[in-house]
Amino acid sequence: MATEIILPKLGFSVNEAILTEWMIPDGGAVSKGQLLYTMESEKSVQEVEAPADGTLKILKEAGETYEVGTVIGELV
Amino acid sequence: MSETKQPGRDVLLDIYRIATLIKTADDRFIELIKAGQIASPYYSPRGQELIPAAISVSLKPSDYVVTTYRGIHDQLAKGIPLKPFVAELFGRATGTCKGKGGPMHVTHVASGLPVTTGIVGAGLPIANGLAWASQLKGTDQVTVVNFGDGASNIGAFHEALNLAAVWKLPVIFVCQNNGYAEHTKYEYGTGAATIADRGLAYGIPGVEVDGNDAVAMWQAASTAIARARAGDGPTLLEANTFRFRGHLMGDDSHYIAKEEMAAAIAADPLPRFRAWLIKEGHASDGQLSDIEATNVAAFEEAVEFGLASPYPDVSELDKDVVAEGAQA
Amino acid sequence: MSAVQAKKINIVQAINMALHDAMELDSSVVVLGEDIADREGGGVFKCTAGLSTKFGTGRVKSTPIAEQAIVGAAVGGALAGLRPVAEIMLMNFTTVAMDQIVNHAAKLRFMTGGQTHVPLVIRTTTGAGFGTGGQHADYLEAWFAHTAGLKVVAPSTPADAYGLMLSCIFDDDPCIFIENLPLYFVPGEAPVPGQRVPIGKARVVQEGSDITLISYSKTLHEVIAVAKGLAKEGISAEVIDLRSISPLDMDTIIASASKTGRVVVAHEAQVDFGVGAEISARLHKELFGQLKAPVARVGAARSPVPFSKPLETAFVPTRERILAAIRETLN
Repeated sequence: MATEIILPKLGFSVNEAILTEWMIPDGGAVSKGQLLYTMESEKSVQEVEAPADGTLKILKEAGETYEVGTVIGELV
Repeated sequence: MSETKQPGRDVLLDIYRIATLIKTADDRFIELIKAGQIASPYYSPRGQELIPAAISVSLKPSDYVVTTYRGIHDQLAKGIPLKPFVAELFGRATGTCKGKGGPMHVTHVASGLPVTTGIVGAGLPIANGLAWASQLKGTDQVTVVNFGDGASNIGAFHEALNLAAVWKLPVIFVCQNNGYAEHTKYEYGTGAATIADRGLAYGIPGVEVDGNDAVAMWQAASTAIARARAGDGPTLLEANTFRFRGHLMGDDSHYIAKEEMAAAIAADPLPRFRAWLIKEGHASDGQLSDIEATNVAAFEEAVEFGLASPYPDVSELDKDVVAEGAQA
Repeated sequence: MSAVQAKKINIVQAINMALHDAMELDSSVVVLGEDIADREGGGVFKCTAGLSTKFGTGRVKSTPIAEQAIVGAAVGGALAGLRPVAEIMLMNFTTVAMDQIVNHAAKLRFMTGGQTHVPLVIRTTTGAGFGTGGQHADYLEAWFAHTAGLKVVAPSTPADAYGLMLSCIFDDDPCIFIENLPLYFVPGEAPVPGQRVPIGKARVVQEGSDITLISYSKTLHEVIAVAKGLAKEGISAEVIDLRSISPLDMDTIIASASKTGRVVVAHEAQVDFGVGAEISARLHKELFGQLKAPVARVGAARSPVPFSKPLETAFVPTRERILAAIRETLN
């Protein structure tokens, strides 16, 4: 079953964040805990690790702002 | 401080068990938040685990521990049951506070955790009240109140230390000095050279200790606790430490110099303590790994429980504002 | 001995009596505040006189001048099973302890999901009339009534002060007990020992049919005097002493307002955003079609309490202003 990659709420008052960069290419293999993407909210940059093993399917492009809770990708 | 008693093997392993349980909890909460599975303000205690672990082994369930929003380490060390604890942080009806308090107000009376506050410094005056009650009842209960370096600059700190001294209360003021008050480095926000120095201003012993040294922390804590239990009054403990994960989740610690952060990570107290336990012959690598695995399994069970638990019903808004049956 | 002589005491004595009786009844009742023990004079207004001598300085404690420490100790003591009665000498000084009152005492029961509760009483005095100026005479009940989890009472007679004090002490939630400085020494009928006055229950001081006059604390006495004058004009006023600000006794208020159709609320606190505003809003919601006039409010001038005597006298709701509001409501 695919694991959704959900853009998290980090920080007190954020309801949206910038998906700054995917660290793995679309279709690439990922291990749980590996650095998956970076995001920016409230002027602070956060690195986010992969929540599970799998092959990355990118659903949202980097460089854009998305609402917290958006499914930005999947690990299949 | 003149305590040179050494903690026994059982005590040391208990400290290790608690400290690694805290790290397990912290790692897992962050994982869950980053995976978008839970959304909550979260104040990580990563780096400060040894302080409450070393204190708690000298406490009884009936002793009181007061802490703050950065409190999961203090709460886990005091023995809060894992399932309702995790459920509370997830805002579920099965949480210790029915989901109505959240991380800043985790409370579990049976474990001796009567109050957690989200207001910097506010726990100190309240701790005095808990200690006063023990004093009046004639029990030998003590109250430990945890706060940060920032709290030592707020009015409530000063009022509370003074009152505790005047009433000779059985309270231990534990300042977990992690070097930063929110984003402000100690030297830019505090006039005194050390917080322990402030004990003198109130007529109580002020003891500075390396909070990242399990043995030293245990010695300082057990001395202060014994002093309080004997009716000899309060102590101010300043436990020096460091926090690796910012003020709260989402803070990337840009105000901490990269070299300072790197040095702190290199000196991480947990692996250092682990290596020391093995070197001193207190435990084997396998035994410590077993302890770690037990913690991971127990915590995972609690996470599953939390995620599977329902949210509180909307009717809970009307409950517990005042006593049942009374008009709010 | 022939006729029963009605014994009279004043509010200071009534509070003192209530504290004595409560402390005797229940060893968990404790008292703290600045100068409240007998070594320091038994309280600046002597409300706590005799308590430390009788019950010891473990249970009756004078404190440093440290309102956050005082209320915080009361909160912690309450969490641990005591019933603390904390004195904050003057109501303006509650502002120094607002965090402990509003962020802690009021909220801990809810935030802990009912695991803990905070059965404390904060006794505090206020009231203009002695030239104490802008920082020593404010009525702040609206601030506290605005906070879910707090009860707020303001007795106007010795019997009510006694009865409400007992109810507050034995209530399982935090209560703010408001005393009035000029009213302390006005004698009234002595209470029946042990007789409690329920929180949230107003008292109809006198029945009437033309207009409802609602008040509390010192202002109530001004309203009673005005009502006497009205009676001479053939105007029948129903006077209600709220006694409790929060919770409000809406049953009594609505019953009266339904009967008379005209209401004036008078209090020493500021008019704007005050208790009168809350009563007015609720009455308009409940009795909109039945009211014969909008609910009128009389209160202090919108300024800090002034020092100069003529200003201070004009500042509080005078009988003239109360009467003016009544006349306007009747027409």
